[in-house]
Amino acid sequence: MAAPSAAGLGRRLRAWLPRIMPVRWSRYNPSYLEPEVKKESYQKPLEELTEEEREQVELKAVRPIRAAPPTLSSSVFSDPMISKFTNMMMKSGNKVLARSLMSQTLEAIKRKQLEKYHKAPENEKETIECNPYVIFHQALKNCQPIIGLSNITKGGKTYQVPIPLTDNRKRFLAMKWLITECRDNKHRRTMMPEKLSQELLLAFNNEGPVIKRKHVLHKMAEANRAYAHFRWW
Amino acid sequence: QLDRGCALHTAARGGLSSVSTQDVPAERPRAVFHTSESDPAKHTEQHEGRLYNIPLEEVKAVFPHGLPYRFQQQIQTFNEARVMVRRPALELLAYLKGSNLAHPAVRYVIYGERGTGKTMTLCHVVHYCSRQGWLVLHIPDAHLWVKNCKELLQSSYNKHRLDQPLQASVWLKNFKTSNERFLQEIKTQKKYMWGKRESTEEGRPLGEVVEQGLARVRSASDAVGVVLREVKQQSHRGSFRLLVAVDGVNALWGQTTLRKEDKSPVSPEELTLVHNLRKMVRNDWSGGAIVTTLSQTGSLFKPSSAYTPHELLGKEGFDALDPFVPIPVANYSPREFESCYGYYLERKWLQHEKARTEDGKAELQFLSGSNPRQLDRLAGPL
Repeated sequence: MAAPSAAGLGRRLRAWLPRIMPVRWSRYNPSYLEPEVKKESYQKPLEELTEEEREQVELKAVRPIRAAPPTLSSSVFSDPMISKFTNMMMKSGNKVLARSLMSQTLEAIKRKQLEKYHKAPENEKETIECNPYVIFHQALKNCQPIIGLSNITKGGKTYQVPIPLTDNRKRFLAMKWLITECRDNKHRRTMMPEKLSQELLLAFNNEGPVIKRKHVLHKMAEANRAYAHFRWW
Repeated sequence: QLDRGCALHTAARGGLSSVSTQDVPAERPRAVFHTSESDPAKHTEQHEGRLYNIPLEEVKAVFPHGLPYRFQQQIQTFNEARVMVRRPALELLAYLKGSNLAHPAVRYVIYGERGTGKTMTLCHVVHYCSRQGWLVLHIPDAHLWVKNCKELLQSSYNKHRLDQPLQASVWLKNFKTSNERFLQEIKTQKKYMWGKRESTEEGRPLGEVVEQGLARVRSASDAVGVVLREVKQQSHRGSFRLLVAVDGVNALWGQTTLRKEDKSPVSPEELTLVHNLRKMVRNDWSGGAIVTTLSQTGSLFKPSSAYTPHELLGKEGFDALDPFVPIPVANYSPREFESCYGYYLERKWLQHEKARTEDGKAELQFLSGSNPRQLDRLAGPL
């Protein structure tokens, strides 16, 4: 669409609504630019920048900037997967509680692994992984299914058809399975960090109920191989 | 005359002999922030900012209660107990070393903002005193005595007071673990009646009073009162030196959340334990010292920004504790921060790969504001 003129920019910035309203929309005028959070991009001196980057910097001097969402962090310790998992654990918008549960989980994993590490003999010490982030990422990777099932109705009957999954869908399914497993199948008095750390350590070693659920899904897909041609995309 | 050696449980003495006070050839190269000086009596300014080790048997003997929960978890994870030597603790130790025990007991009040290390300073002083052979009366948290009490009994000694059997028996059990040898050596000076049939004669060792309190839980609070009274009366003789260490002393003069059966609120002086402890904290006895800590964290009806003695103690408490020596505890200095950060790295507590970089360190310092508790909480998940 045509960019608004420089003179009309000030007047037309507020009270701007597009003609069509999509479902997830933002009321920002498209002239608002995204915020830049990485520290490295501001530490480069002006001479080292390329032509496009210099134009970008000059554009940022005149254009307004959108507000940064609270999940966007400039911390060196921030991890997008951990943030996504925290958001999925969150209930009724209580991000403070979800984040504290996540940090308690990571601390619990670290404590368990460090105790094992200090008690192990010298030759086994290298095999024990103590970094909770590495364990978290590996456990999620182990839980991701390769192939999924979808309901396709043909001739009045619904069939479970094996379909390929996108990366996002795989990550989502792994996280969802972990969280539902921790919420449902535990003793009433166990705390979430304790149960989650237990499940993550089991998944890291390719054991546990979540891995079993993934294998069950794979077996169903293998069994329904015959219906694979029902998929048309 | 009592033996002025170390007042530690006999089992711990075996462990002590392996810990020498000179520089031991270490198995691993000692870093700058460690010190092998594990006797608090020898800590000086050159040890400031360094961490010293307390052997685990000694920890079990000297601190059956009293260490903060996060520190206990840290001891279990790292398999060692390392306490940082900081300036307020060194100041307090210097005062204690130079104090004249013939004069009335001096009161020291450790105060500071939340999470700056007041309880750990108190624990350092308790460790020093138990190494020097003092009798240590350590009340880990006075706030636990004024809230969340499941059982309140009317006291048989004084009808207007209320007993707390559970808290008293827990304290008596821990007191017994930390001061075994004094219980045989101190004798009672009066006959005490526990109800109609049981009594403790004059001249019996104090251990019997403690056993009585543990066996008959109903009279545990009175047993605590008897122990405090005996110890206070006999301290001026000079056979032993007494340290009264109270954490969260502002609980004694605040309000309680307890209620009597007719739902009327209980004020602190109506509780036997609090009443006896208040008598202990008065400076009308000699032969020891009283070291106390203010604490907002467990306190009742006090705003979270309050940390000074006047705000937390109130008028009544301030007048009762006046005159005292105030000892402020602040956040980590840059050197102490480096020391703590280096210790976490060495013990593999900071596992995140970015935590080892300069950026990560600067971020930790900024986010925690050099506050020890915040640093500990931030370093947990990293």
